[in-house]
Amino acid sequence: MNVAVVGGSGYVGGELLRLLLHHPDVELAQVTSVHWAGKPIARAHPNLRGASSLRFVSPADLRPAEALFVATPHGEAMARMPEWLASSGFVIDLTADHRLHDAAAYPRYYRADHPHPELLTQAVPGLPEFYRNELRAARLIAVPGCIATASILALRPLVGLTGVPDRPVVIDAKSGSSASGRESGPAGAHAERSGVMRAYAPAGHRHTAEIEQETGLTVALSAHAVEAVRGVLATCHVFLSRPVEEKELWRTYRAAYGSEPFVRIVHDSDGLYREPEPKILAGSNYCDVGFAVDAHAQRLVAIAALDNLGKGAAGNAVQCFNVRAGRPETTALDFPGLHPI
Amino acid sequence: MTQCPECDATVENPTMIVGEVFPCPDCGTELEVSGLEPFAVVLAPQEAEDWGE
Repeated sequence: MNVAVVGGSGYVGGELLRLLLHHPDVELAQVTSVHWAGKPIARAHPNLRGASSLRFVSPADLRPAEALFVATPHGEAMARMPEWLASSGFVIDLTADHRLHDAAAYPRYYRADHPHPELLTQAVPGLPEFYRNELRAARLIAVPGCIATASILALRPLVGLTGVPDRPVVIDAKSGSSASGRESGPAGAHAERSGVMRAYAPAGHRHTAEIEQETGLTVALSAHAVEAVRGVLATCHVFLSRPVEEKELWRTYRAAYGSEPFVRIVHDSDGLYREPEPKILAGSNYCDVGFAVDAHAQRLVAIAALDNLGKGAAGNAVQCFNVRAGRPETTALDFPGLHPI
Repeated sequence: MTQCPECDATVENPTMIVGEVFPCPDCGTELEVSGLEPFAVVLAPQEAEDWGE
């Protein structure tokens, strides 16, 4: 299948190229970049040296493709999506520009009105675990954010569980530096970032809207930057209206994810990695989901870990591509991660 | 075939013998085969830590 990538010079774009270049059903035809046009893709992504002779092209030179991936900075895709949809079989948007169904949420969370609100209801959330059938025929797929993906996968199976009240769920999220992108500015400088444990968004994080949209819960999200390059850990605190037992949670998560290729239930009684841990997921498309019951506080702790560039972005996008293209869902995504790392 | 007493996962292994200990494939809890027909398991006794007493 003929594939192009718009905005391929960032960290998400680089991860996308790494996966697509090794996808047996993909012919990667073009990768655009405003700043890197004319330069080899390996100049921006040195791990791809020798993997391809492709050079970045200017966005103005983009040709029609059967499938188009969009990994531009937030805000750029919303204006140009109609023309991309007209020239592509389908579009997989990794930006935030089509994630929210409610156009009124964009000024609140992204400080901009959405120029094409009619597309928001057409976009299918890029969550194969919940939208697999819809993805098979989608023309526009909106891949969720990294913290949102982890939080949704941790929380959504619990929504139907009696005892999960209609009260805010507290999410404590930690993320690595690559989640803020290649152009993170002074905050990404080594002197500022090294050793960091920073509550960079104690309230009002943008992903709040996505998580609420996909779970129906009221979400109180605090996001922290930690000393890691890749990884998201979402620890979700659900204060229950009745006691629950671990067996019930096992059954609940097993019913949701027992057949899923990339969501693993991790709540082990032995070993070093008993609960989800992003460290061992780097480079993989897995999201590990676990839980614990705090009987004293009648609290359920739901935990999810993933690689923000993997299942939190590019890996998930390729999984959506596989579903949409009718390919085996695990194609090009079978890397299990590294240990030790 | 039976259920793990810890997490309710389905566990079975026709080649095991009574007394054999194995980890639950889902939650990793050590289980001990307590019967074969029908296949039954119980939580395996845990070795208590002896911190030099």
